[in-house]
Amino acid sequence: MSAWAPAAARSASRRAARDPIAVAVAVGFYAIVATVISTLWRTAATAHGGQVAGYTGVQLTWYLYFAEAAVTALQQRQIEMTGDDIVSGAIAVEMLRPVSVVGLRLATEFGRCLPRLAACTAIGLTLAWITSGPPVEVAALLLALPSLLLAVACNLAAQHAFAGAAFWVRDARSAWFLYQKLVFLLGAMLIPAEALPGWLHSAALALPFLAMAYVPARLAAGHLEPQLLLLQMGWLVVLGAAAVAVFAAGERRLQVVGG
Amino acid sequence: MTVTAVRGTDTVAISSTGLTKAFTTGRRRHRRLVEAVRGIDFLVQRGERVAYIGPNGAGKSTSIKMLTGILHPTAGAASVLGRVPWQERRQLTREIGTLFGQRSQLWFELTPRETFRMLGSIYKIPAAALRARVGELAELLDAEELFDLPVRALSLGQRMRCELAACLLHEPVVLFLDEPTIGLDLLAKQRFRELLVRLNEERGTTIFLTSHDVADIEQVAQRAIVINHGSVIYDDRVAVMRRELLATKIVEAAVATPVCFNDMKGVEATEHTSSTLRLVVDTTIRPVREVLDVLLTTAEVSDITVTDPPLEQVIAEIYERPRT
Amino acid sequence: MTAVFATMRTAFAEAWANRTAFWTQLAAMALNDIVWVVFWVLFFGKVGTVAGWDRSRVLLLLAVITTGAGIVLGLLSNARRIGQLVADGGIDAALALPVRTLPFLLVRRVDAVNFGDMLFGVTLFVVACSPTPQRAALYVIGSAAGALVLAGFLVLVGSIAFFTRRSEVGDLGFQAVLLLASYPVDIFSGITKTLLYTAIPAAFVSAVPAKLIDHVTPGRLAELLAAAAVFSCAAVVVFTMGLRRYTSSAIWTRA
Repeated sequence: MSAWAPAAARSASRRAARDPIAVAVAVGFYAIVATVISTLWRTAATAHGGQVAGYTGVQLTWYLYFAEAAVTALQQRQIEMTGDDIVSGAIAVEMLRPVSVVGLRLATEFGRCLPRLAACTAIGLTLAWITSGPPVEVAALLLALPSLLLAVACNLAAQHAFAGAAFWVRDARSAWFLYQKLVFLLGAMLIPAEALPGWLHSAALALPFLAMAYVPARLAAGHLEPQLLLLQMGWLVVLGAAAVAVFAAGERRLQVVGG
Repeated sequence: MTVTAVRGTDTVAISSTGLTKAFTTGRRRHRRLVEAVRGIDFLVQRGERVAYIGPNGAGKSTSIKMLTGILHPTAGAASVLGRVPWQERRQLTREIGTLFGQRSQLWFELTPRETFRMLGSIYKIPAAALRARVGELAELLDAEELFDLPVRALSLGQRMRCELAACLLHEPVVLFLDEPTIGLDLLAKQRFRELLVRLNEERGTTIFLTSHDVADIEQVAQRAIVINHGSVIYDDRVAVMRRELLATKIVEAAVATPVCFNDMKGVEATEHTSSTLRLVVDTTIRPVREVLDVLLTTAEVSDITVTDPPLEQVIAEIYERPRT
Repeated sequence: MTAVFATMRTAFAEAWANRTAFWTQLAAMALNDIVWVVFWVLFFGKVGTVAGWDRSRVLLLLAVITTGAGIVLGLLSNARRIGQLVADGGIDAALALPVRTLPFLLVRRVDAVNFGDMLFGVTLFVVACSPTPQRAALYVIGSAAGALVLAGFLVLVGSIAFFTRRSEVGDLGFQAVLLLASYPVDIFSGITKTLLYTAIPAAFVSAVPAKLIDHVTPGRLAELLAAAAVFSCAAVVVFTMGLRRYTSSAIWTRA
C-alpha cells in the first residue's frame, strides 16, 4: 500500500487526539457500558455455581471489557455517516482525488479510532483489574492488544461495505441498526459465543462478526489461541475486498447515473 | 415634569438609550471583558423604515437580541412599543414580528398554510380572522399559489415570501428583519424589497432591518443607522448620507473627442477612452458646475450624467471613521 | 386549541408527511428491540435467575422501558436535545414566540423512529407479560411515571448546557440513563445501586415499574410517583434558572 494510507491514518489520529472532551465522552460511555454488562454476567456466574458457558466470573469480566472496547472505539453510526456522505454527494467530490476513495476513508477512520481505542483499552484494563483481579493469562492478554487493532479494522471494512448500499438504496440508517445488532449478537459482544445455542453458534462461525469482538475478548479472557489472529487477518482481507468492490461498483453507478 | 410613554398612543416604536452589552470571553487566565455593544442611542418612530448596518462583529445581532428581549443588557435602557423587551418578552412577541434570514419558522415537510394554522393557535388568532388574514397576505405578497405547496418544494425566494407571511400573521406593529435577502437571486431580492416597502406604506408597519446588502438600504430604508465597534457612528436619512458624507460627484460623459482634465484641481479622470469619460469631482475643491462648463465647451458631448458616488463607498468610508 | 397541543399536532404532521420514512424507521426500531428479547432469552436460557430477576420479569422491564422511552423520545423528542439547542442557539426560535419555552421546545419535534419502541413495548406486554386488567393498569401507570422520570432527567442534564455552553454532558446523560435502565437494577450493589435511584434515576425508569407490575405494594407505588414528581419539578426549576442565565448571560454567544 502506498505511503498515503499510513500518513492519512497518522494525521487523523493526531486530529482526534486533539479533542480530549470527545475522547473523554467516548471513554465515559465505554466505561459505563462495559461495567454494566460485565456486572451482569459476573453476577450471573456467581449465581450459577461460579461459571457460565465455560467462563468463570473473572474471565467473563476480562472478556466483556475487551469486547466492548473493540466495538466502542469506533465512532458510533459510522455506517450512517458514510451513507449520508454517499447520498449527499460528498463522496463524488472525493472521487476527484487520485487515490482510492474507500482506501482513504478506511485509513482515516482507522486513525481516528486509535486515540479512543487506546483510552478505552487502558480504562478497561484498569476497571477489569479492579473489579475482578489480575488477568488470567498474561501472554493471551498481550495477544489481545494487536487483536483489538485487527478487530477495529475488520469492523471498519465491514461497515464501509454495508454503507455502500447507500449508493443504491439512498438510506443508511436502517442498515446501521441491523448491523449493530448483528455485531452485538453474532459478534459475541453482549454474550460469549460459547453461550449461543448450537445453530446460532454455527451461524456466527460462518460470519465475520466474531472477528470484530469475540477474538480479542477470548484472548483477554485467558485463552491462549493465537490462531484466532489468523482468522481475523483472513476476514480483514475478505472484508476489505468487499468494501473496495462495493465502492467501485457504486462509483461506476454514480458516473453512469449522475450525482 | 416626567414624560411617561403611553402605550398605544405614543409615536415612538423603538427607543434605545445607552444600551450596552459586555461579554466575558476566553478561558480562565485569558478571560477578558468585551463590549459588544456600548452606549447605543437612537429613536425610531412608528412607520419608519430603518436600516441598521455595520460590518461583521459590529454588534448588530447583539442589539437586535436585546431589542427583541432575548438578551438582557449590561447597562442602558430600551423600549419597544412602550415595553422593556427583556422584561416583557412574551407580551412583546405578540406585537412584533421577527424574520431572521438564517432561521426558518416554516415546517419543512408541510405547507405554509399548515404552519400558519399552528401560529394562529400560538398567537391566539380566531379561525375566521386567521383565514381572512392569510387571504390578505396572499394578495399582498402575491403568494396565493405558494401557500399550499410543501415548503421543501419552494425556491428560496418563494420560501422567504412565505416566511414573511408567517411573521405578519399576528399583524405586528414593528418588524425586525436580520439579513432577510441573504442567498436570494437578484429578482427575488428586488421583489422582497418591494414587498417590505409596500407593507410599510399600506399598513404602516415599522421596518427595522439589518443587512450587508447596500441595495437593501438604498431601496428599502429611509434612514440608516450605522454601527461599528459597538457604537452608533452615523444616523441620518439615506439620501442625506450620500449627499453630505462624500463631497464627491461622478460625472460620466460620452464624448466624440478626447478631453484632458489633468491640470484641473479636484478632478480625477478614472476612465478615459476615446469615446467615454468618467470623472470623480471633489466638490469641496471644484464645483461640479465648473467641470460641466469646461466639458461642454471643450468637447463634443453626446451624453452626460452626474451622479452621487455608490453607497458602498459611502458606507465603507463611514466604517473607517473614528468613534465620536 | 392550546399552543402546546397545536405545536405537537403540527410536529406529528411533519413526521407523518414522509410516509415511507415514518414506517421504515418505526419498523427498524421495533426490529432493533426484538434483538434485545433474543438476548435476554438466550441469557436466561443459560442462567435461570439473577439477583431475583428471571426472564418474565426482565421482559416486563423491557416492555416498560421501551414504552416509556418511546413516549419521551418519540413525542417529547427534544427532551434529549436540550443541550444541543442551548449550545447552538436553537432556543432563540422559541424565545421569539409568545409561548412557555420549555413545553414548546419539548413538543416542537416528533421522532417517528421511537414510535417503533412504543409499539414494541405495548406488543411485548400484551404477548409475553400476562396482561390481566390489574397488570395492564399498573403497566400504564408505571410506563407513564417512568417516562416522566426520564423526561425530567433528560431536561435536567440538558439544562447543564446553559451553564457550560457544551452539550456533551446532556448527551452522555441520555446514553447512560437509557443504558442503565435496560438492565435489572439489582445486579448492581453499593454505591452504584444508590446512584441508579438518585443521580441517574434509571431504576425508576424501568426496574421499579416492572417490580410494581409483578407485585404491587403501596410503598413501591408511592416511591415511583414521588420520583416522577421530584424529577419533573427539578427539571422545570433548573431549566428556568438556566434560561434566565442564558438571557442575562455575560458569556459570549454566537453573534
